[in-house]
Amino acid sequence: MLGTAVVRVAVVPAEVCPPVTAAEVRRSIDAAAGWLERGVQPDGTYLYGYHRDTGVVQAGYNEVRHAGIVMVLYQAYAATGSAEALVAADAGLDRALGQLFDHGDWVAWAPPGEMTSGGNGLIVAGLVFRRQATGDHRYDDLMRGIGRFLIAMQFSDGSVSSDWRDGPTPDHSLYSTGETAWGLALMGQEFPGEGWGEAAVRTIDYMVTDRDRAEGRFSRLPDHWAAHALADLRPDLLTDARIDYARRLAGYFSIRLRFESQRLGTGINLWVRWYPGTPAGFGTAGEGMGALRHLAVDDQRLADLVGGMDDRVVCTAALMVDRQITPAEAASGPHPMLEEGAWFYRGYSQMDDQQHTITSLLEALPVLEAREAGR
Amino acid sequence: MSGTMLLVAFIAAINPFRSRGSLPETPTGNARVAPVVIGGTLVVGSVAALAWWSGPVLRALQITPETFKIAVGFVAVLAAGYAFVVAVPTAEPELPGWRAGIWPVWYPRLLGPEVIAMALTAGASNGVAASTGAAAVAVAGLVALVPVRGPVPRRLVVWLGRILSAALVVVGIWLTIDGIRDV
Repeated sequence: MLGTAVVRVAVVPAEVCPPVTAAEVRRSIDAAAGWLERGVQPDGTYLYGYHRDTGVVQAGYNEVRHAGIVMVLYQAYAATGSAEALVAADAGLDRALGQLFDHGDWVAWAPPGEMTSGGNGLIVAGLVFRRQATGDHRYDDLMRGIGRFLIAMQFSDGSVSSDWRDGPTPDHSLYSTGETAWGLALMGQEFPGEGWGEAAVRTIDYMVTDRDRAEGRFSRLPDHWAAHALADLRPDLLTDARIDYARRLAGYFSIRLRFESQRLGTGINLWVRWYPGTPAGFGTAGEGMGALRHLAVDDQRLADLVGGMDDRVVCTAALMVDRQITPAEAASGPHPMLEEGAWFYRGYSQMDDQQHTITSLLEALPVLEAREAGR
Repeated sequence: MSGTMLLVAFIAAINPFRSRGSLPETPTGNARVAPVVIGGTLVVGSVAALAWWSGPVLRALQITPETFKIAVGFVAVLAAGYAFVVAVPTAEPELPGWRAGIWPVWYPRLLGPEVIAMALTAGASNGVAASTGAAAVAVAGLVALVPVRGPVPRRLVVWLGRILSAALVVVGIWLTIDGIRDV
């Protein structure tokens, strides 16, 4: 009996997934996008972070995350039609457009002091979503120019330099490889026949085979950007090895999401599971799973995973809707409008907490709508 | 879990070689057939029932089958470690006659925590028929060991039981990894 109790408490605490509806998820997306929209600054940056316990706005900025916010606001606009989201995304994009570096062969977004593959991958992703949602083709040449920069950042083995300084530096960063692959995969969707998909698979195959070992990681990186890249790759490029990688990624995301659903943040559970995880961390697993779900729905080789994936993305959405700061909860804080609609980890919220969670909620919407329609 | 892994898992969990070491015996040293058959039938029935009820049980526990598999892996490794060290189970007092098939053969000898946990996870992933079939093969192995007597064959059975305990460690680790990788 003692052993059973220990296993129950420490190994398999209950996985709690509150009930949730598509309407609640839509409201949650709107509220979180509202937090980002209210955070647009006159110079086109976004509110970076906020400490609710002290009422202090976090100083500093991260440019790759800026690109992530631009991208997710275009995603939100595409899904909800929110004009506010489009205006806020365009504000961030306009700032980036004023920081372009024209190399001649390619163009890159180069905010002061950096020219990263990851930031440019996400800017391209944002431009793709903008193009798809608005039908506006005015940035097509710019997209191709940035796409050529991403290719210039690829090494012959498919690995990706994280920064350009008079040439690609030999450095890699945790997520820039996947962000680059995703940007190129999306370019392949928008501009078929121009070789972007083929460029994407060079880096995808590096992630499939060598990345973690070559970059000195002890374990496989649960890379949500890689999941997006696979999900948005042209179907004819999805070889068995790439599909196997997608299956492995789905497993990593699943254990992360199931673990998160065991976290209550109180009592004994706090000691065995710690606090509910960072919204950005949880959100990346949710969006990665959601991306792979699209792939699994379309590709028979992953069809056996769809049911489990549906459960995970819905549970993620349910937990995040439950954990989001409501207007009533925000009202008691020093700056209610800096709290409402956000997700906090131990009193702090950062813009990427909203970014990744919004994407994960967007991934859950079609599943919930299908379930509610009895499909 | 593949059919082969399912079979290995149940044989290692029920561990007929180890279980043979403490079955009720006749004065000549053979195991008594009736209690073994009764206990074996009951454990196969128990596995079938647990596999049948695995879905409602896991839902009641609010645990996904994938996560439960991780817990089963832990249980299997712990049980296997104990079985490896205590290679011959402690002799229990027996109920008279055929009732010895219930106590101690069915419980606690054959229906240990690892078998219960294995039945629940196998029921959720492989279904009732496959789980019951695998348990039945393990019990058939036990029945086949009824005639074993004499010091050398008995010691051989003990050491083979240790090998199956080691196999259960492998099964437990595999279940844990599989549960982590499952979606």
